[in-house]
Amino acid sequence: MKKKAVITGIGVVSPLGIGHQDFWNNLVSGNSAIAPMECLDLSKYECKNGAEVKGLNPEEFLGRKGLRYLNNGTKFLGSSAKMAVDDANLEIDEELSNHTGILIGSSLGNFSQTTDYFHDIIREGPSEVSPMKSYDVALNSSINYVSVFFKMKSFARTISSGFTSGTDAIGNAVKLIQNGKAKVIIAGGVEQISLDLYMIFYMQKMLAGNEISMPFDKSRDGFIMSEGSYVFVMEDAEHALSRGARIYGEISGYGSLFSGNRNSDIENRIEKAGNTMKSCIEDAGITTDDIDLINANGNSGKLSDLIEARAIKELFGEKGEEIPVHTIKSTLGESYGASGAAQTASALLSIGNDLVPPTINCDKKDPECNLNIVNEKLEKEVNTVLINSFDLSGNNSCLVVKKV
Amino acid sequence: MYEVLWVLKNPVFPIFSKGLNMPRVVVTGLGLVIANGIGVTNAWNALMNGNDGTAELKSFDSSLYKVHRACEVKDFKIDTVFENETTANTIHKYTYTAAKEALKDSGLNDIAGSNRERFGIAIGTLAGELPPFEYLLRNTPEDKANGFDMGVALTYPPSSITTLLSEDFGFEGPNMVSLNACSSGNHAIAWALDLLHEGKVDVMLVGGGELIPQTEFTHFHNLKALAPERCQPFDKERKGLVIGEGAGIMVLETLESASKRNAEIYAELKGYGMSCDGHHMTAPHPEGAGAIVAMSNALSMANMSYEKVDYINAHGTGTPLNDRMETMAIKSVFKERANEIPVSSIKSMIGHTMGAASAIESVVSCLAIKNNAIPPTIHYETPDPECDLDYVPNEGRETEVNCVINNSFAFGGNNVTNIFSKL
Repeated sequence: MKKKAVITGIGVVSPLGIGHQDFWNNLVSGNSAIAPMECLDLSKYECKNGAEVKGLNPEEFLGRKGLRYLNNGTKFLGSSAKMAVDDANLEIDEELSNHTGILIGSSLGNFSQTTDYFHDIIREGPSEVSPMKSYDVALNSSINYVSVFFKMKSFARTISSGFTSGTDAIGNAVKLIQNGKAKVIIAGGVEQISLDLYMIFYMQKMLAGNEISMPFDKSRDGFIMSEGSYVFVMEDAEHALSRGARIYGEISGYGSLFSGNRNSDIENRIEKAGNTMKSCIEDAGITTDDIDLINANGNSGKLSDLIEARAIKELFGEKGEEIPVHTIKSTLGESYGASGAAQTASALLSIGNDLVPPTINCDKKDPECNLNIVNEKLEKEVNTVLINSFDLSGNNSCLVVKKV
Repeated sequence: MYEVLWVLKNPVFPIFSKGLNMPRVVVTGLGLVIANGIGVTNAWNALMNGNDGTAELKSFDSSLYKVHRACEVKDFKIDTVFENETTANTIHKYTYTAAKEALKDSGLNDIAGSNRERFGIAIGTLAGELPPFEYLLRNTPEDKANGFDMGVALTYPPSSITTLLSEDFGFEGPNMVSLNACSSGNHAIAWALDLLHEGKVDVMLVGGGELIPQTEFTHFHNLKALAPERCQPFDKERKGLVIGEGAGIMVLETLESASKRNAEIYAELKGYGMSCDGHHMTAPHPEGAGAIVAMSNALSMANMSYEKVDYINAHGTGTPLNDRMETMAIKSVFKERANEIPVSSIKSMIGHTMGAASAIESVVSCLAIKNNAIPPTIHYETPDPECDLDYVPNEGRETEVNCVINNSFAFGGNNVTNIFSKL
């Protein structure tokens, strides 16, 4: 009998709010976090809108010690991890620390500070650069920081798989709980806005030229860049029950396939996206009939929204046009490696509140994306949510989140 | 039905080791690109001969540094069609070459007729694709944005390392990059083993790849972790690590899948052990607490006594702290046998290839099993009373090798040990 992986704590550092309450309130109210970006000088570039984290006071969560050496991504991840652990009412004592691991997905981690460091090296000379500048610049240094902060002893792992990084980290954590490798895992995703992130999307013309995130709408023109950290306390259900923890939900299924990009046509990508959803639903031991909400990847990408809509319709058949579909990216933007974790937070809160947040800006639905897009906040019983996470270079990953 | 018959005919090789649902996992193909040799045969001969891959650093101008040596891959001929000049400077040139060799070696170079969703990829790296960015920015340093062109934009996210390989070889299964500093490769292998055990995939292409970014060189240089001339693991006079580059790739496959194809089997991947020091962002735990747990967990997952291990492929970076800590940890785990088991560090010959290191060392561990031979720790001259094990000094050794553990201990106390054995 497989063990069950349940979520007992949620920590959120998001452009939509600090803490899962603010995040959820803004999400269900349809308040957008998208505005002209302040942390980057984009005067030379066309796409200026983004969704930035504002109002985070990391000292509140991490204390003052060493804070000045930490980069944004580490402050995001550390603060949200502390929030999640507190939310779970979990005390990681010496005994539990041996069974507690951390598994985080991030596409770039603290890469932008690594390249800042290089920029300093070539401008100032290698011997002039302070060693402390390289203290927190590795791709996975934020994860190391959290493992040291909580003195975790079980393992620390960082996964990078582009847009699906957070989803893959959560899915991998589920498997490690299910096969008994850990009792508690701090799992989730983190990504920070940086010039690096901006340039890779800008160069590839992925950002919305019309400065608006309008998933599945006819006029969608690319995504809006976002950031944040979404972290969960995931526990073996037995462990959670034995300590009387509140349970937000179970993550019961995970599936991941590669559909290709360079050598792959649209029909093949649709088929693979559908196969990924199918394998995830099978992994959860249920059928498409059990899914009562789809938390879509829908990031306003011209091609990716179309692929996703058609994949849903082909997999779900007749039900494909009825089943409620929403995406949090109309108000939150695309938080890259953290997006799957953001969607997981939303799905867990949908289950807890029997409420579906609206997808805004989808006023003239693309006829090719003929899904039942939830435009207004919807009260409905939510028991089982399918989360889709697709990367333009070919990674597809899905999760099933269900009520316990 | 076929599987049942096969088991009945071959009672010595049960396909499932732990209960009915846990398939056994074997290594059927290897590929190497390292500083002292390209290709498994060249590299293995060079390692057994104790050839040092260390030379003058050429990746960038080192005149502003106190150290000018590195283990760079030499005489490398690019073996793939690249989209533009920038991607030709990526890790992909090494991972592609090693992956192609490993797949050919395993007989899986053409998988057109197979269910490709059951073929996945997991690769580890530390710095990812920094060098192409560095190359651009170095020439036009005024504005950081100058470091990005279309080629850099496409390959800059570390995930490009595996998506490019999936594209090249037509794999359609799970796909992930492990970003876990110096234990990245072993993390990727551990993740793949779990997927194979779960039955989600039949084949996983796993490993690690790394280049030498100036950023990492500076990082280690300013931490005074770089040895001025050469890497001398476990020697009393050891002065630090020599930075290296390359790739090590292996094909992992369920025994069932390998047996059906009559594939040649190098070794069985018996298990892994992970741990985390939870101690410091950069320094290892002084008594190697995490290292002990990683090795013990690996033995326990493999359901194997410490008495069975007959070679330890050490992390052995050549830094004063690591080598002392690793020696203490080995003594703690292997007790009275610690002095009998050969322990060697190939980093003395190929440098510390960072995210690729543990993957390259996994490949070498399998070769040690196949060839019944152990590569030496070279530049070993002055014994250190604190490091008093059998480090296979300076000469390779022919001896029966049935079971190997491969250690990797990364910055931040991120430890993964893998264990391989004869089938």
